[in-house]
Amino acid sequence: MKKIIIQGTIIILLFFGSWLAIAQIDLVKVFKVQKVTDNTEQKLGELFWNIFKATENENKSIHVVNSIESIVTQICKSNEIDREIIKIHVLNKDEINAFALPNGHLIVYSGLILNSDNQEELIGVICHEIAHIELNHVMKKLVKEVGLSILISMTTGNGGSEIIKETVKTLSSSVFDRILEKEADIKAVDYLVSAKVNPEPFANFLYKLSNKEHDATEYLSWISTHPDSKERAEYIIEYSKNKSTDYEQILSTEAWGKLKMELNNDRKTND
Amino acid sequence: MIKIKQFNYEPGEHESETASSSYLMSLIAIIVGLPFPIVNLIATLIFYLGNRKSTYFVRWHCTQALLSQLSMLFINSYGFWWTVSIIFKDETITSNYISYIAVVIIFNLTELITTIYTAIQTRKGIHVEWWFYGTLTNFICKSKS
Repeated sequence: MKKIIIQGTIIILLFFGSWLAIAQIDLVKVFKVQKVTDNTEQKLGELFWNIFKATENENKSIHVVNSIESIVTQICKSNEIDREIIKIHVLNKDEINAFALPNGHLIVYSGLILNSDNQEELIGVICHEIAHIELNHVMKKLVKEVGLSILISMTTGNGGSEIIKETVKTLSSSVFDRILEKEADIKAVDYLVSAKVNPEPFANFLYKLSNKEHDATEYLSWISTHPDSKERAEYIIEYSKNKSTDYEQILSTEAWGKLKMELNNDRKTND
Repeated sequence: MIKIKQFNYEPGEHESETASSSYLMSLIAIIVGLPFPIVNLIATLIFYLGNRKSTYFVRWHCTQALLSQLSMLFINSYGFWWTVSIIFKDETITSNYISYIAVVIIFNLTELITTIYTAIQTRKGIHVEWWFYGTLTNFICKSKS
């Protein structure tokens, strides 16, 4: 009996010992796991953004771009996020939507800006999407829904156009799972508070849209792809309680007004 | 790790064949068992149950094959579910994961080679005792006489 225990213990020790010993080597680096993932993400980001650039109308107005850029810069600065990672694009589209693509591309539809009653609502949604980027949710979702092998084949130009089209649709219209959404919401509140932006309007935005009192319900992509908005609004309010109350505005009232006016004008011109 | 020992008695042709099959059973099951580690164990368990009233030599080797499969089940299942959670959940590939899989592969390969060797030897009627598993089998499986 004693012999069995000794031999058994030696086998167990051998197993865990070799496991721990091998784990001391930085195998992620040795096998270039990170590099492969980063390269794939970079190529996918370019691939998807090029599709949006070709099919949608990008708003290049200096004031619009600068306003959104200054919002993102302020959030990044206050939260020690590498500003270079986030590449923001404003597209002229009536849909109330914003979403993240791989490699830090963040797309905001003009419909979202126009339907935000104040800048805090818009900043809240932008923070939520930046949180998805920072928490690496975009690649996680793609790997889960499309599969890593297909994603890699897309980057080498072997992905069928149908698959690419479907993936683009997945990115812009389907939802992350509940846990990831909550994680992004909570992180967004942290970003907002650090940037001294009141998180309450972000919660109100969710309430407002979920109640469908808004006149643009047919364009509510962001809300229809982000279900349980009321519940989300509640935990955002709950989480942001007792946080700093010394809030400031990133854009001046004039700049915010001018931004909406320019987008409205663009919309009328396009119509 | 492996010792050739003199068994209590000289096993007959039929006994050697059945004893050898208990190892072959786990080898064949590896093909199906790779994605589902439990299949290996079930295959050896069924073979064990079918032969538990057989002669001492057959019983002994069925038990050794079953015990080895049982311990592989734990480490393989853990590796299997770890991989599943990386593919479908939020887990990421870490050095810990890669080294675990490396050790699992080394242990499985050792077990595979040992199993093939033992299957060949038992077929010839030669009694092979594995380190630890042989001792454990001697403790569990007793001669009726």
